[in-house]
Amino acid sequence: MSDTGPDDLKRLGARLDDAQQRLAPRKTEPPPTQSGIAFRFSTELVAALVVGGAMGWGLDWLFGYFGIHTKPWLMIAFVVLGMVAGIRNVMHAAKEINAQVAAQGPAPAARDDEES
Amino acid sequence: MAMHPMEQFEVKPLIEHPLFQIGGHDIYFTNQSLFMVIVVAVASLFFTLAMSGKRMVPSRTQSMAEVSYEFVANMIHSAAGDDGLKFFPFIFTTFVFVLFCNVFGMVPWSFTVTSQIAITFAMTAFIISMVIVVGFAKHGLGFLKLFVPEAPIYLLILLVPIEIISFFTRLVSLSVRLFANMLAGHTMLAVFAGFVVMLGAAGGILSILSVGPMLMIIAIMLLELLVAGLQAYVFAILTCIYLNEALHLHDHH
Repeated sequence: MSDTGPDDLKRLGARLDDAQQRLAPRKTEPPPTQSGIAFRFSTELVAALVVGGAMGWGLDWLFGYFGIHTKPWLMIAFVVLGMVAGIRNVMHAAKEINAQVAAQGPAPAARDDEES
Repeated sequence: MAMHPMEQFEVKPLIEHPLFQIGGHDIYFTNQSLFMVIVVAVASLFFTLAMSGKRMVPSRTQSMAEVSYEFVANMIHSAAGDDGLKFFPFIFTTFVFVLFCNVFGMVPWSFTVTSQIAITFAMTAFIISMVIVVGFAKHGLGFLKLFVPEAPIYLLILLVPIEIISFFTRLVSLSVRLFANMLAGHTMLAVFAGFVVMLGAAGGILSILSVGPMLMIIAIMLLELLVAGLQAYVFAILTCIYLNEALHLHDHH
């Protein structure tokens, strides 16, 4: 028993590495639920609009402070840009979720025991 | 019995006298501040006491602390790589603070700190400013390349503002996600609790029916516990992802 010790340890190490590799991908991403996806898309859209509007308003204020009157125009332009950015964010998020689903696809066994 | 579902989110000063003033605004010690102090104290105490034994074979509390350490370390490693681990103390603190706030909010008569947009927005603003500072410190002006996608030069006039807006969108989406989840869950719990009281007071057959919403509360409570953990995780992993972008700058398209 004592002279097979190091060998045993090596084999145990290999098995541990194996098990860790098998389990590793599961803890990287939480599986997106449908309501989670819906909530994410809607916040992305609205958030971009709000941020764009706020940035335009801030820039208008800044220019006004230095005596350049752009008052409503930058805000209008940035709200439109915000809409564009929101749609871009949603497409980006959709791509991300698709990649997550695709990554989970080939291992149905791993998913099953997580669901139960 | 005047019970309002939103009453639980009311911030009120616990000490009548303001503690001090900042720029003409009175700063009070509110129930919110009290719960933040409790959360920080309990979390620090838990981790200090759990690790005080430093045993080779961990006790139950010690292994809880160790598991949370490993969980966060793995998360940072997978999302932000090796140099992300430098930010371990920050991300671990954020994760533990959000998690403990969420879980403490589940205790009846307590106050959910993370259901206040002021708190989540302040945390997110700090995180995003840190990401910007780290990006500039690591890459200098090269950090600005993050906002310049590959496109013909005449399109950049449109694309750069869009990229900048979508970068700052995180400020809103990260804070609103945590705040809205906590607010919605706790409001739902309060609404169902209101049903129990109303049905119970109605008398006769309706009183028996009040068991229904009661069971519903138990189910939602369990769901909320899951949401509390999940949202803390989401908050922490998104922090890692944003840090990763500042550290490595590469293709996020």
